[in-house]
Amino acid sequence: MSTAHTTHVGIIRRTKRLLAGIIFWVMGRGLVACARLDSRVRDEVATWPDGSVITLMMWPGTPKTSVRKFDGRLTALGSRDIEATLRVTFKSVAASVPVLLGMKAILQAFAEHRATVRGDLGLAMSLVRCLHIVEGYLYPDIMTRRILPSPATRQAGHLRAYAGLLGASAPIAPAETTRGDAA
Amino acid sequence: MIPAYYEFSNRAKILSGEYAIEHIPFELASMECARPMLVTNKQLRELGLADIVLSALADGGVTVGAIFDDVPVDSSVQVVNDLAGAYREAGCDSLIAVGGGSVLDTAKGASIVLSTGATDLLEHMGSEVVNARAMVPLIAVPTTSGTGSEVTGAAVIKDTERHVKMGFVTPHLVPDVAVLDPRMTLGLPPRLTASTAMDALCHAVEAFSCRQANPLSDAHARAAIDLLREYLPVALDDPKDATARLALANASLLAGAAFSNSMVGIVHAMGHACGGQCSIAHGEAMGILLPHGMAYNLDVAGERYAELLLHLAGSEAFAATPAEDRAAAAIGGVRTLLELAAEKAGMPTRLSEVGMTREQLPAVAALAINDGAMSFNPKDASAEDILSILEGAL
Ligand SMILES: [Fe+2]
Repeated sequence: MSTAHTTHVGIIRRTKRLLAGIIFWVMGRGLVACARLDSRVRDEVATWPDGSVITLMMWPGTPKTSVRKFDGRLTALGSRDIEATLRVTFKSVAASVPVLLGMKAILQAFAEHRATVRGDLGLAMSLVRCLHIVEGYLYPDIMTRRILPSPATRQAGHLRAYAGLLGASAPIAPAETTRGDAA
Repeated sequence: MIPAYYEFSNRAKILSGEYAIEHIPFELASMECARPMLVTNKQLRELGLADIVLSALADGGVTVGAIFDDVPVDSSVQVVNDLAGAYREAGCDSLIAVGGGSVLDTAKGASIVLSTGATDLLEHMGSEVVNARAMVPLIAVPTTSGTGSEVTGAAVIKDTERHVKMGFVTPHLVPDVAVLDPRMTLGLPPRLTASTAMDALCHAVEAFSCRQANPLSDAHARAAIDLLREYLPVALDDPKDATARLALANASLLAGAAFSNSMVGIVHAMGHACGGQCSIAHGEAMGILLPHGMAYNLDVAGERYAELLLHLAGSEAFAATPAEDRAAAAIGGVRTLLELAAEKAGMPTRLSEVGMTREQLPAVAALAINDGAMSFNPKDASAEDILSILEGAL
């Protein structure tokens, strides 16, 4: 194989990882924005134990993004190193790019065992339901309607959601409900 | 139906039938094990079921390193750690679990501790995060026909101090050998026979119609339903029919292998909530709720249910039913089995029969909506949707 070809493959590989990193960042911020904009996400996040740190990560370690719920606020922490209470790790960059680009539903990715979960599975399912709603805000209807098994409806417009990405923190009302079992 | 991608694993070697238990010494030797620990509970020892296994081990010249019969109804971290400690102290090299769900869950929990050297099980909580080159050899001998735990890669263990119900999901937890011997289930009372069979039916139907269904789990689910349709009536008529008992044990195993890979949905979400909120027995909740959950999913999962009519009602009935009526007829097939179980074994068919009241339902619905199994149901449901399903089943 030529050196040019090897370099080309290397660039594509690095680009995919870079892209995943950008989308992780958007997902983290998107989650925080939706916790502000969407009552369903807010209600889900309200059930998460205070002090929860949730990390979305690419196997074996980068890129990643984290959010933390602390003192009734949900905050996007970006890619900084922090001990997670719940860690969702996508097994392959190539296989998760379609998910991260909104071309495949996150619920479907879980159904296909594309990611591992370290931590409380009930909390993980709550996170997945939130990300399912976040997808509905981040990607155009024409994409989500085709790919999502039952696309989440939006409670606010795309533009407000995009503007919401600028904020890194959202207040969360105290939990009124408790989560059920994982399996 | 072929999904764009799926994963399936079931590494268990299955021994099914007459004298299956007598083959355990050979299986131990083939895994180079000579000193197993027997894990069971006091009740199963009193019933003489553990003795059948102990006597087979003695016949095969196997020295049992230790017997741990302190497994309570709900497995807990404390019991798992005690078990692991006793295993190390007695210098054992394998686990033989004889019992139902809690005995198997406890043995699986101990196998994580023993295989990874974990000091805190919490580190391994989650899905596919147990890494080990080899697990402690585990042989499972189920004494009920419902959970399918002898081939599932899952365990639930309570941390009573931290008040966490820990879920562990990994193919590493699938036992090495699953032993189905009719002697283990001949004595099951009729109502328990019926309710555990309805649990197995529910595993098969939900695995077949949920988001994760794939050709391998489908094959297991179809075979499970065929056996249940044919042999549940026989076992209810004659509880001592060894062939029927073995068939139900196989149905439970097949359905377990299906749902361990393809998960369950709304019926289990509601059933878990009925168990958590009102202590309803799992299998009874499954039987009561299955036709109602299917009716809710009908518009989305209809094509899948239509395929199941072949297995729920047989080829004659399938061929005689117009294609557009098959999905609804499949729900009818489930109802027929449930009514048979009610008539012959006193299986309840309504939530009110197991003591639930209308006032309890909103809390049950709120719990069900947050259950993990909801994520895999083919159709989303709101708390109001679930409440109306529950009201229909009251
Ligand atoms: Fe079940």
